[in-house]
Amino acid sequence: MTNSTFSNNEKNSEVIEYEFASKEEFLEKLESLVKEGVVPSKLSTLTPFHVHEVEHILHTAPSNLRFFTLVGALTGFFLSFAFIIFTVLDWPLITGGKPLISIPAFIIVAFECTILIGGIVSFLGFLHLNRFPDFGGILHPKECGNHFIILHNQG
Amino acid sequence: MGEDTRMNLEPYFQQVETDVLGAMSKPRMFYWIALAISALAFAGGLTLWGYQIFKGMGVAGITHPVGWGVYITNLVFWVGIAHSGTLISAVLFLFRAQFRSAYNRIAEAMTVIAVMTAGLYPLIHLGRVWRAYFLFPYPNQRLVWANFRSPLVWDVFAVSTYLTISMIFFYVGMIPDFAAARRHFTGIRQKIYNGLSLGWQGTTDQWRHYNRLYMFLAAFATPLVVSVHSVVSWDFAMSIVPGWHSTIFAPYFVAGAIFSGIAMVITLTIPMRKILKLESYITVDHYEKIAKVLLVTAMIVSFSYIIELLLALYSGNIFEISIFKYRMLGHYRYFYWLMIFCNVLLPLTLFIKKARRNLVYLFILSLFVNIGMWLERFIIIVTSLAHEYNPYSWGTYTPRPVEIGISIGSFGMFFTFFLIFSKTLPVLSISEIKEQKEHLEQKEKGENQ
Repeated sequence: MTNSTFSNNEKNSEVIEYEFASKEEFLEKLESLVKEGVVPSKLSTLTPFHVHEVEHILHTAPSNLRFFTLVGALTGFFLSFAFIIFTVLDWPLITGGKPLISIPAFIIVAFECTILIGGIVSFLGFLHLNRFPDFGGILHPKECGNHFIILHNQG
Repeated sequence: MGEDTRMNLEPYFQQVETDVLGAMSKPRMFYWIALAISALAFAGGLTLWGYQIFKGMGVAGITHPVGWGVYITNLVFWVGIAHSGTLISAVLFLFRAQFRSAYNRIAEAMTVIAVMTAGLYPLIHLGRVWRAYFLFPYPNQRLVWANFRSPLVWDVFAVSTYLTISMIFFYVGMIPDFAAARRHFTGIRQKIYNGLSLGWQGTTDQWRHYNRLYMFLAAFATPLVVSVHSVVSWDFAMSIVPGWHSTIFAPYFVAGAIFSGIAMVITLTIPMRKILKLESYITVDHYEKIAKVLLVTAMIVSFSYIIELLLALYSGNIFEISIFKYRMLGHYRYFYWLMIFCNVLLPLTLFIKKARRNLVYLFILSLFVNIGMWLERFIIIVTSLAHEYNPYSWGTYTPRPVEIGISIGSFGMFFTFFLIFSKTLPVLSISEIKEQKEHLEQKEKGENQ
């Protein structure tokens, strides 16, 4: 393990950095910090892959991304249905003797739009929640390589 | 607990990065030759398309009674190839299948490129390509909207959605790997990967949102895979053409698409792992597993062939019965029996373990399956139109050189983009391989204790 301290000028607070080559050691330290009474919101981690245990230790709430997905999917479904119904009523043209508002036939496009808008809004939600693109991160990326890092914000 | 019992996988992680990102290094002569051939075929196809636009659709062999020929065959073929990309990636992710990581990135790239290739065919088939915007619903000068009861309009929405979601899925999966790539490269490449990584650091929150997004996209993509090829099948099944008007078409097409897509993944990855020196990441065990999936889908497709035939016989409809007799004994009988050989008989050899683990055999088999699946679409499309209701209107169809050239051009396009992908983007999911290795080591450690 290596420790380093650096100041975060923007927030005017000090951040202690713990760096590990092993995931187990990293998780043990994270757990011990929480047990010592460090507020989880003061802790952040940088990992080379998704470490599920971190969320349990820090008691992180599930990602709010689900709301974006739900809103996007519902918007796609209802908007597409409304649009299709508008088009058939705007220029009523009976084809094949079918009713103007043929719900079963319209479900297919509505289903595709549910997925299309749901997927796009989820992606935009992901960008928003992570504040991507993070120009600070792009211009001056903090490279942790393949190490597991704990950032303890003292402020 | 002593320090020595803890796993330090950092050297392995470094090795993964070096191997996968190293595969993107300066290409060798073989690569340039392959790229030149593909690009030449692509350019040839584009030139012939230009010729067709200039001269008119008369240069193609499609005419009465066969109005849908090789172009629509290619459309269905490429959409089918695109299918298993998302299937391997999304479905296997939802089922937590470990062998997914060997193929998922390649399969996703294959999906995006194959959908783009497929997307050209409605435009090529259209003739007057500058009218392509008629496909989309827009308030035109006569205030008439698209007919949303038409399967062709469904198809536009389905394929466009599939392309968009597949591209998002493909890109999102690569974000952490772009962050690794920016460490590996220097100069302009570093700047590009840095930009593409969007400033990814791998923080708790980033991984949390990323994981959730990936799961949602996988959950969206799974029913999408089923819906898109069902919609493609309804382009046929909604008509009253004998041999097309069948309720089995949707699952039959979906199974066929997965079957052909998996075969294409095998065709692409076997030479690729050798050329890019990725044998330790895409192993023979991985091929054995994917060969089993190929065998299962082959049996579903075979079952569909039998059911399709029985439905025609059981219906008592003379037109349905006649079309199936025509398929087996008519002008295109050699294609039909070659299709049965490639799609039904040959894959049965995969019941033998040795065959599943022999990569040369698997590669040749996958080529035959690709041929068989192309023939399947050709037979479905052409025989039904050539031999419809009225004997007076019967006819045959032979593809003209322009159609054959454009078809070869589409293969050129597919391989050109795929070769570019293999040298510009990480061909394996680096972060996923690292995570999987860590899990495996943990598991082994747990078993030993």
